[in-house]
Amino acid sequence: MSAGSERPEGAIEAPAAAPAHWAHRHLLDVDALTRPDIELVMRTADEMHDVLERPIPKVPALRGLGVTILFYEASTRTRVSFEVAAKNLSADVVNIAAASSSVSKGESLVDTVRTVEALGADMLVIRHSVSGAPYLAAEIFSGSVLNGGDGWHAHPSQALLDLYTLRSRLPGGLLEGRKVVILGDVLHSRVARSNVWTLTAMGADLWICGPSTLLRGFEAWAARGAAGRRFTVTSDAGAALQDADAVMALRIQKERMASGLLPSLREYAARYGLTNERLRAARPDAIVMHPGPMNEGVEIAADVAAGPRSMVTDQVHNGVAVRMALLYLLAGTRRTEAGA
Amino acid sequence: MTGRRIMTAEDIRRATIRISHEIVEKHAGTGGLALVGIQRRGVPLARRLAASIRDNEGVDIPVGALDITFYRDDLSLVAQQPIVKGTDIAFDLNGKTIVLVDDVLYTGRTIRAAMDALIDYGRPQAIRLAVLVDRGHRELPIRADHVGKNVPTSREEVVKVTLEEVDGDDAVEIERRPGLAAVGGTAA
Amino acid sequence: MSGSGGHDTTIRGWAVDPGTGHEGAAVLEVRDGVLERLVWLSGADAEGLTPGAALILPGLIDLHAHFREPGNEDAETVATGLAAAAHGGFTTVALMPNTTPALDEPSVLGRVLAAAGASGSPVRVLAHGAVTTGRKGETLSAMGELADAGVVGFSDDGAPVRSATVLRNALAYAGALGIPIVDHPEDLSLTEGAEASEGYVATVLGLKGWPAAGEAGSVARSLAVLADVVRDVPGARLHLTHVSTASSLEHVRAAKAAGLPVTCDITPHHLALADEWIAGARRWAWEALDGDGRARDPWADGALVARPYDTSLRVNPPLRSAQDAAACRAALRDGTADAIATDHAPHTEVDKHVEFGWAANGISGIETALSVVLAAVAAGELPLATAVALLTTGPARVLGARGGTAPGLRAGEPADLVVVDASGAWTPSAASLVSKGKNTPLLGRVLPGVVRLVLAGGRLAYAGD
Repeated sequence: MSAGSERPEGAIEAPAAAPAHWAHRHLLDVDALTRPDIELVMRTADEMHDVLERPIPKVPALRGLGVTILFYEASTRTRVSFEVAAKNLSADVVNIAAASSSVSKGESLVDTVRTVEALGADMLVIRHSVSGAPYLAAEIFSGSVLNGGDGWHAHPSQALLDLYTLRSRLPGGLLEGRKVVILGDVLHSRVARSNVWTLTAMGADLWICGPSTLLRGFEAWAARGAAGRRFTVTSDAGAALQDADAVMALRIQKERMASGLLPSLREYAARYGLTNERLRAARPDAIVMHPGPMNEGVEIAADVAAGPRSMVTDQVHNGVAVRMALLYLLAGTRRTEAGA
Repeated sequence: MTGRRIMTAEDIRRATIRISHEIVEKHAGTGGLALVGIQRRGVPLARRLAASIRDNEGVDIPVGALDITFYRDDLSLVAQQPIVKGTDIAFDLNGKTIVLVDDVLYTGRTIRAAMDALIDYGRPQAIRLAVLVDRGHRELPIRADHVGKNVPTSREEVVKVTLEEVDGDDAVEIERRPGLAAVGGTAA
Repeated sequence: MSGSGGHDTTIRGWAVDPGTGHEGAAVLEVRDGVLERLVWLSGADAEGLTPGAALILPGLIDLHAHFREPGNEDAETVATGLAAAAHGGFTTVALMPNTTPALDEPSVLGRVLAAAGASGSPVRVLAHGAVTTGRKGETLSAMGELADAGVVGFSDDGAPVRSATVLRNALAYAGALGIPIVDHPEDLSLTEGAEASEGYVATVLGLKGWPAAGEAGSVARSLAVLADVVRDVPGARLHLTHVSTASSLEHVRAAKAAGLPVTCDITPHHLALADEWIAGARRWAWEALDGDGRARDPWADGALVARPYDTSLRVNPPLRSAQDAAACRAALRDGTADAIATDHAPHTEVDKHVEFGWAANGISGIETALSVVLAAVAAGELPLATAVALLTTGPARVLGARGGTAPGLRAGEPADLVVVDASGAWTPSAASLVSKGKNTPLLGRVLPGVVRLVLAGGRLAYAGD
């Protein structure tokens, strides 16, 4: 079977001149996004980026809409980014952190979502430690659900802001044939999974690299090349970084040592840490990204994180524009019966 | 095409020249004057007006493009979000006299949104309005300072402006609203 | 369905009798619950009687069901479970002992049998006792007393017999009693927190992988222990339940070839569904294979039609790849697997309408089992006679003499049979399922084969429209 011949229509095609209409009521994953969908997000984010440059970085597009941000996992960066994005669009924002709500008293997700809706939410941004939880929320919620990160599964807004950041640094914003490396703990990473979909959809030459214990399952994925999308999996950091155009380092958590997946943080840093020395193999203009929060000195050296190649603060800034774009596009479908 | 033509390319050319004269006359010169076209067809119209002013006065006045999508008051009514086309105002609005330019003036809601959007970019001395066609049926207390042609219409009709830069040719036509067209009508 | 009197009826159809190996057009006369006459028809008499019309089968036997009583009557009771069994065509069910309290001593068995008696159902109830006290995996349950009370197997199902030493002792002790150990093969050190079968689908969905080795390793261990025990205790027997992977089945195949006293069963869902259902695919497992016998890619071929992460698909062992499901069907065809068992595991909505990773494991399957097997038969994946044997004589052989079952269509004995409209179709729904457990991924799916009549021990157990 040739996987390439079976890609869904429009998944990997030349950039469409005419943007598609946004037809997704929810954004739960990026696997269903076509290239025109992604182009539309990028283009809308460009406009939002311009809004952010204005003296008053605020527009009334979502005036009167309730956006509830329901986070079952601690997060500062993503939660605040969504909050700023929603406020820039003049939405009414409610923040619910699991620790300070009835969630911690054992209320089920189903009941919590019903309550949030009854309190007037039109859009729900949800983060949850269990993969797939946003789908359960979407089954109940009558508005739009935006996945703010679920388990190991998906982090759509992060992947789209990563893409936006990459495009801003590549000539013509084109990723075709550009070597992009995701380096680190991909096994536990929703950022990695979502980036697999978006980067391959845009034609990048994607490499996934880390210790073999943290690549588990990705060989099977790469071999299948879902929907015609192919990428390379290796535990050889040298091969991965050779002539790379961009490197995205992922956070290594201490729990990985306790569960026996890694011998030590020191050994990880020595073999896979993103250092200037290791980056010499990459192209001279290669950029470095990190979804944060960073463990400097482990997966990324402090001088790389703060160095001229680092796009980390751009990622944060672009995150607001991309999330504004997503909220804006989803708001247009909230009263229609378009499929998820 | 099922529409009734109410302005030809030549009519549009003459109206543009006349409006450009009126703008300069009303402003008593070109100092502090700038044109801002509303996306999409207001933008080429603004450029044509600026070109005409250059021909007449020998002066280049600034031209900007304004996207009012984020300021529309009907976002909750439309099925899908309008595609954002971009705002490009590369000059300082503060203290200037801004002439907003659009193709058709109808309910006035677009102009209301455009004024809100403009004011987020700065504080102009004055905002004026130039349109190619005024078709009536205002829902807000807004009127145009410069009008190419006043066209009485019914609400069941659509005024369709095509411009060379966007559509390949210049014309203004009136059509029945497609949703109300008789069975068997051709696609617009 | 109250206990009075026997049933009278005359049934014409395509009879399959794995007891005798006969299959063909037949007419059966039941008088006062006894199968008085069975006449095999031919020629003009057999006109219109085909395997695609009315099927007449011996009553089905389920080796593995959870009726949740005592302890979790919100999910199922013995009475509702028996009614569901009858609706599914089963006339004998062997219940698993993971109730609360566990069935680890005779009084709990007494409660179960009393509930069965009170239900008035003619479906015969058998029970497995726990291997260890409280199913804790430490000390042997009251095996001798349970044997005297009539249990047909010992199982800590829901969990494996963790310690090889405990398994060794259990095989030996139960072997001397002539009772098999029914083990749930799982290496808990490999499956902790696991959510879906390790591989492509689990990786894309970000679900913690449940490796094939997490089952095959346990199977290999148990077979190694069995080989040791059986030298000293010739009566020792091991039955592996809900085997789900190609690698596990290879171990069983080799053990059988070596003459070890091992049997195994496979569930309807593991033979007919694949892990891609969790991603939203809804095609049968045999439709999910490409020309080379490899699992197709549901993301590539437009097969994702349902909402992903449906918790009705969360089950232990997890749904495996389409290749594993194919290996399950091959094992059922070649005799490596001895029976199809439902692992009917009803759950309440409270336990299932939650996040996927937090949902209870199990599929409510006793009412859909026969239809799923008939779908496999219709697809040419299982011969009809083999499929019927795997639901009747196969499980009867696993139960042995203690099961007291001898499935067959024999004149002069109480009628124990099921009549199925093979040309009919039905759609499981919360309303059409008799079980309290509505947790099946087959809700809303049109299934072949409608059970019309079930006679159990000569009494009417179920009559459809």
